[in-house]
Amino acid sequence: MKPKYLLFLLTLAILTILLSGCAGGGATTASSWPGLTLDEETAYLAYNTFVYAIQLSNGSLKWRYPSEANRTASFYADPALSPDGQLIVGGYNHVLYSLDPKTGNMMWDFLQAKNRYIASPLVSEQGIFAPNSDDKLYALDLSGNLRWTFNTNGESWARPVSGQACDCIYLASMDHHLYALDRADGSVIWQSEDLGGAIVGIPALSETGSLYIGTFNSELLALNSLNGKILWRVPTEDWVWSGPTLAGDRLFVGDLAGNFYALNAGNGGTIWQLTPGQLDGPIVGSPLVIDDSIYFGSESGTLYALDTSGAIQWTQTTGGKIYTSPKQAGDLILVAPIQSEELLIAFDRDGAKKWAFVPEPK
Amino acid sequence: MWNSLILDPMVNSLLWIYDVLANNFGLAIIVFTILVRLITYPLTSQQMKSTQKMQELQKSKKWQEMQKKYKDNREQMAQEQMKLYKEMGVSPFGSCLPTLIQFPIIIGLYQAIIRALAVTPIQLLDLSNHVYPFINAAALIPLRNYFLWMDLSLPEKDYGLAIAGFGLPILAILVVVSTFLQSKLMTPPSTAGDQGAQMTKAMNLYMPLFMGYLAYSFPSGLALYFVTSNLVGVLQYALMGKLDWGNLIPWKKPV
Repeated sequence: MKPKYLLFLLTLAILTILLSGCAGGGATTASSWPGLTLDEETAYLAYNTFVYAIQLSNGSLKWRYPSEANRTASFYADPALSPDGQLIVGGYNHVLYSLDPKTGNMMWDFLQAKNRYIASPLVSEQGIFAPNSDDKLYALDLSGNLRWTFNTNGESWARPVSGQACDCIYLASMDHHLYALDRADGSVIWQSEDLGGAIVGIPALSETGSLYIGTFNSELLALNSLNGKILWRVPTEDWVWSGPTLAGDRLFVGDLAGNFYALNAGNGGTIWQLTPGQLDGPIVGSPLVIDDSIYFGSESGTLYALDTSGAIQWTQTTGGKIYTSPKQAGDLILVAPIQSEELLIAFDRDGAKKWAFVPEPK
Repeated sequence: MWNSLILDPMVNSLLWIYDVLANNFGLAIIVFTILVRLITYPLTSQQMKSTQKMQELQKSKKWQEMQKKYKDNREQMAQEQMKLYKEMGVSPFGSCLPTLIQFPIIIGLYQAIIRALAVTPIQLLDLSNHVYPFINAAALIPLRNYFLWMDLSLPEKDYGLAIAGFGLPILAILVVVSTFLQSKLMTPPSTAGDQGAQMTKAMNLYMPLFMGYLAYSFPSGLALYFVTSNLVGVLQYALMGKLDWGNLIPWKKPV
């Protein structure tokens, strides 16, 4: 082959590689942060090409799915445990999987969605409710058979919430609306007005029937769960990504400017606020509240522990970025950073590191 | 530097156009591409003029005689070529420099389309850090990805339009055809025996296929950009009065 042809082909190859690098979102380049779910003994972590089952007692790997990395499949949504012993997890390859939580073997898959599963599914005895980025919510029975679908005008990135009083589910959508749907057939019970911005966080539902959500319109809102009417709305400095955490009569939530708010759930009044000067980066994940302590992570990779007055009790750095909400496992606080060698870190309630899970090379 | 000078202005321009065009991202890409082609028109025009000058030079008697005279002495030929370039006021890099300058713009535009679409959480989080305050991001984001039959955020291979049971990569075909048209219409037939003739022929054949492959494998927003850019390129060339449809005739003899 003549050198000129070689040069030409080489230029094309370099251009392809350059564009591939720009694309992102590939299976091997992380395009989201880990999804994390726990049972009494195991942490199920969905990140990039694998779903990992990790022993809570010592951080060792029990199994991973698939056993070998597959470039076309990647997982980021929180896996969900079903009452009949399944682990339901959605992939970026448009497939919803049912895995055996004990072995990681696949039991069934659902192939009808047309886009990524970014949201975690809601799984209960009534079935599986899995939002997909093809703007549809898929309702399946526990065997993976489709029962009904519901269309919104935008993607849904947040797990739906189960309403007890109305036998319904609440679905937050990026089309700026919150929907209450009949669990049996997906018919709309109510649809909120345009809430001003996309909603990607899981709504918090109170026992008194209020729904709390944050939006990209830099607001936190309370809605009446019976009719979707707005009860109150308060501004935040920046977008609110994850839903607030409700503890008693207080709401705790962070924003992308790096503020952390404690609000009165009754009227949205600020009880206290930590500002970006006191914290070190945007807050994406929902906080975890245990007794009188509040835990949350920042984009700078710091895990914060506060008391209920907003005083910082301790901080721990993880060496990565924390976007995933921390989870409680007995006396442990689990954090799943990205861009860190350690994919899952367990701290005790005093901030001492107990173990870390480092995945084996692929 | 890259973000603040190229990417952020492009992303925010795209978002602004999207807002003005009633939230139609397909139209926003088309309008944005036309604007970028208009802004870079002086570069395109200079490139075309340089190419034409070079071709005229290569057709000249002096050039042909020099090729014959020094065919066995490449070093001497190179020196004589440089002399001739100087004499005729032709820069050997005149046609490739504007292309090189356009290259970062193409890469930036591609990145801007991907960033603005923000189809994954990391991309959306990233976008939130790059939106200018005057853009009403809360109302616009997420952008609607659909335009005609296309999902601009997905590669065509993931959703290809099925006609009579067959998935037809329509966008990829449009990219191949428009790239081929542009390269044929804008490249005059080469002189017989021209050193670059075979190279040009290979470019005209492989480049459309390569662009078609990119269009098929990368998000369709990029393919829409390719098609628009090619058509605008042909239109610009036509407005300069240099379009020669005869170039499409395969048996047309070189001048």
